[in-house]
Amino acid sequence: MNPQELTAQEAARWALREGLPLEAGRHADVAATAHHIRTVIGTLRELDFGDTPPAAVYAAGQEADHASL
Amino acid sequence: MRPFELTLTEAAAALDGGSLSPVELTESVLERIGAVDEQLGAYVTVVAGAARHAAARAERERAAGRHRGPLHGIPFALKDVIDAAGLPTTASSRVRSGHVAQTDSAVAGRLAEAGAVLVGKTHTHEFAYGLTTPQTRNARDRSRVAGGSSGGSAVAVAAGAATFALGTDTGGSIRVPAALNGVVGLKPTYGLVSRHGVTPLSWSLDHVGPLTRTVRDAAFVLSALAGHDPRDPATLRDAPAPDALVPDGDLTGLRIGVPANYYFDRVAPEVETAVRDALTRMSAMGAELVDVEIPLTRYLQATQWGLMVPEATAAHERTLRAVPELYAPDVRILLEAGELVSAGDYLRAQRARTLMRRAWRDLFDRVDLLAAPTVPMTAVPSGQENVSWPDGTTESVADAYVRLCAPANITGLPALSLPVGRDHDGLPIGMQLIGRPLAEATVLRAGHAYETAHGPLGEVAGSGA
Repeated sequence: MNPQELTAQEAARWALREGLPLEAGRHADVAATAHHIRTVIGTLRELDFGDTPPAAVYAAGQEADHASL
Repeated sequence: MRPFELTLTEAAAALDGGSLSPVELTESVLERIGAVDEQLGAYVTVVAGAARHAAARAERERAAGRHRGPLHGIPFALKDVIDAAGLPTTASSRVRSGHVAQTDSAVAGRLAEAGAVLVGKTHTHEFAYGLTTPQTRNARDRSRVAGGSSGGSAVAVAAGAATFALGTDTGGSIRVPAALNGVVGLKPTYGLVSRHGVTPLSWSLDHVGPLTRTVRDAAFVLSALAGHDPRDPATLRDAPAPDALVPDGDLTGLRIGVPANYYFDRVAPEVETAVRDALTRMSAMGAELVDVEIPLTRYLQATQWGLMVPEATAAHERTLRAVPELYAPDVRILLEAGELVSAGDYLRAQRARTLMRRAWRDLFDRVDLLAAPTVPMTAVPSGQENVSWPDGTTESVADAYVRLCAPANITGLPALSLPVGRDHDGLPIGMQLIGRPLAEATVLRAGHAYETAHGPLGEVAGSGA
């Protein structure tokens, strides 16, 4: 799936929403790079994941290791 | 042969036999650094004084009969994202100005315990987020890229300016520069080697591993590095300790998967020929070649980016807001754009990874190893940004270098790159051997058998110069 083109203004607003103010001169370049990344990643929307879980890195019980340090 | 030209295995044997001392070996490597590094730019920092001190200590311990193992007295370098107590970890970035590591990383600590001699810290593409390492020049042709991101480590080993080195690998950053400089690089199974004290790029994809001149050398280093570490929750608790010594032997009974798709697509003809010739030789050594289909290839780049891009942005959250102007432009814009990747995108990538791991596990029901080119083309001229393929497509050099390495990062499988030939310009070509989880012994045994029979074995770049 090809995500909708990201405008410079949208990129700036989304970044600001994440707490990252972008200088005005960077809006267009960041928008173009982000659009390219989102286009590549957007391919994953084709997959029917069913009940496939994310590959997790969490395992219960590891706190005990830290406590022993 | 001068001491800096010795492989780790040869140097360890010479030290054990008394024909060489740790001080002589370290002095030879330091002299070599002095002779070549101004041209190559492999090192950020050289710690000659500390290295001489460590070498003298190793010499005293060996003389007193305290033998710490094959790395005792061997000079090595650390990629400069790996902490060594008292030294800056610059990550080859102005962002890290003034940083000094307070303690050793887990791997630096293990190598110190093994008696290895740290000679310096090597350049990385800034924060390991890139594939060329622009500060460093290729050891075989200085007009070409070193590869990355562990470019300094690969060049140092290839040039004899370190007997071995450590790198990190998130999408090929050990294997790519290993292939481009004609050395051996091993990305171990995810979780076999601790990342504690290593500057992260992408937690779920990052690995630490050795760059060496031979496969057997890599096994010696891996055995010193591997082991559970509660400070890195991804490390495996019950992984068997890797054997330090790779056995000699042929490849009888080994089933090697030869990809029918993906790994030979958009690959330079000379690279394909060299790898297929290597496979023919491995078949003649007793291996059974089995055609295999690589699963879910359409989603490999999407999964790699969906994991790496938001994780890298998260790792740099504070400094990207505090000192964005200190990042190099190529890294800064990737970090900024990563802010615009959603949680939904990230979870889809993690779920796709689950599908890939399952599919690759099934693939390895039929074979013991997968063999493929490490990278689609040899080292490109410095400054080249894109590569065009006969099918009419164009891709960035970085994307091309990552393309064949990323699957082993997504799946966490062990992957070894070893030299199998040269192109018409004399530039090295690497072959990648990928194994089941924790099957480092199989990967290393096959690589060792190949290089023992067919070489090249530990050839130092430009040592006649």
